[in-house]
Amino acid sequence: MTISWTAPKIDRQEGPLVGPERAMLQDYLNWHRDTLLLKCEGLTAEQLGTAAVPTSNLTLHGLVRHLTKVERSWFRQDVAGEDVPKLYSTAERPDADYEDLDASAAEADFAAYRDEVAACDAVMAGYELDDTFTFGRVERQTMSVRCLYLHMIEEYARHNGHADMIRQAIDGVTGE
Amino acid sequence: MTWTAPVIDRRTEPYVGDERTMLQGWLDFHRDTLLQKCRGLTAEQLKQASVPPSGLTLLGLVRHLALVERSWFRIRFAGEDVKDLYITDDNQDAEFDDVASADAEADFAVYRAELVACDAAVADRDLEETFVDPLGGSTRSLRWVYIHMIEEYARHNGHADLVRERVDGVTGD
Repeated sequence: MTISWTAPKIDRQEGPLVGPERAMLQDYLNWHRDTLLLKCEGLTAEQLGTAAVPTSNLTLHGLVRHLTKVERSWFRQDVAGEDVPKLYSTAERPDADYEDLDASAAEADFAAYRDEVAACDAVMAGYELDDTFTFGRVERQTMSVRCLYLHMIEEYARHNGHADMIRQAIDGVTGE
Repeated sequence: MTWTAPVIDRRTEPYVGDERTMLQGWLDFHRDTLLQKCRGLTAEQLKQASVPPSGLTLLGLVRHLALVERSWFRIRFAGEDVKDLYITDDNQDAEFDDVASADAEADFAVYRAELVACDAAVADRDLEETFVDPLGGSTRSLRWVYIHMIEEYARHNGHADLVRERVDGVTGD
């Protein structure tokens, strides 16, 4: 018997309410990474690929792919300068992370997401919050690792706001 | 002339800086982003629950964030003797629920005044300072409040993105 894949259960951990800056930033980032997966929990690949809010191209599957791309782009390519290819999007299809979905690849895309998070955390362990890096293809700009952590938290949080509305429209499930 | 939500010259966060500057910068960016999502809409549009089955409205979000700002910065951290905005013993979600009868222009003025009062309440306080949350009794730091407020705003601005898109098609970060 074949049991079709559904997005796995997530045991989301609450972060510390007091303590040093780095640990709090890391734990808030982890909380939002898990929140994204929590919003997907229990859904089939078809449900994850449903653009449930009319006129918007956003889907839960697309959000997972987008955040995989964003994690790699900032942490591994911009900060660490690793020679790894951009994920999903191309010059011809800049929104491919959101739009070029294949339900049969959902399980693999979720595995790629978890691998990317682990790779990003591993590389960032070698950097301090005050370290800076440059980014931007046209105009090079300087950003600190501190700014990037806060950006990643608010990037995830904003997309998790999208995920809230999409999930509710799919099957009525709500919650933070 | 009919009131519409005002034009916002949104502040942008600094890319490099010390912790406090960066936290304040990201918080201000998201405060302004919420107002930018409302820009140019009438009170009627701000009261539209445009993404069913969600009941969220842009005015409800502005009222909610005014309540949350006051609750965390002024009441729970600074210990000011002020009442919660909007909610009552009978309705803990009144800021979201009671938008139909609300005065949008007045609520926007309350929101802006609350931001000024909240910044003033914590201006001389250290991020390492802790407090016991009167709701639940946990010990938290001002650092936690700032990071929480940034992600709280960002998540609600994600809601606002879709609510605005469904009101009049306007998108953008």
